[in-house]
Amino acid sequence: MSENPFAREPRPTTAWLWQVFTGVGLVVLLGLHMIANHFVAKGGLRNYHEVVAYLRNPAILSLEILFLLCVTTHALLGVRAIFLDFGLSDRDETILSQILKWIGVLTIGYGLVVMWCVIR
Amino acid sequence: MQTLNYTKTKQAARWFDVRRRKAGMWAYALNRITGIGLVIYLYLHLGVLSLLIRGQSSWDTFVGVARSPFVLTLDVILLAGILIHGLNGLRLAITGFGFSMGAQKALFIIVMLIGAITLLIAAIKIFTI
Repeated sequence: MSENPFAREPRPTTAWLWQVFTGVGLVVLLGLHMIANHFVAKGGLRNYHEVVAYLRNPAILSLEILFLLCVTTHALLGVRAIFLDFGLSDRDETILSQILKWIGVLTIGYGLVVMWCVIR
Repeated sequence: MQTLNYTKTKQAARWFDVRRRKAGMWAYALNRITGIGLVIYLYLHLGVLSLLIRGQSSWDTFVGVARSPFVLTLDVILLAGILIHGLNGLRLAITGFGFSMGAQKALFIIVMLIGAITLLIAAIKIFTI
């Protein structure tokens, strides 16, 4: 079989489309996150009071929540794609998807709790 | 897992071995390796953010450590991973929708050059900020 490495790359499926959608979102949101938190902030990181003031801005908080949703979804879809390469059965694929879904819910929940604890 | 077929496992792991492979396989492997690294970093980052819950002294102590040259070097490595994964991911999205199918190698080289230049500028910024 002649090798065409590019042919091994993902084909459009619903999960792949979500991965692209969140990935493109991440390019924008991660760019903003890095610039705001690491390149604009004095010394490359905000101190505690600066983080609190930063996150209390509703526009920033909304962007950070969107960032959390995108990064978690993108990361876990990526993990799923790697596992699927190992040729799982339909049953195991369903179990894997459920496990990753709950890891995602817990991750997003944890991130929201951290944000809430900071801004309250 | 019972359904984890040995042959499939071996085939699936082939992407990790890029010896004597073409640019496409390098792109594929780089995307996977950086992706796995970034997932690990995501959870480390979320763990570190729990210091915010512990209060001002915990966070500000961490900020002091994070400004050390060693951690800044790790930041540059992290940024390299983000740039490789992000830019290569954009290339994948473009070609995945059927655009520039005949120019994938050129596109890969272009995005990696953009990544290298961005990394250089960012690394200078990180160490001089």
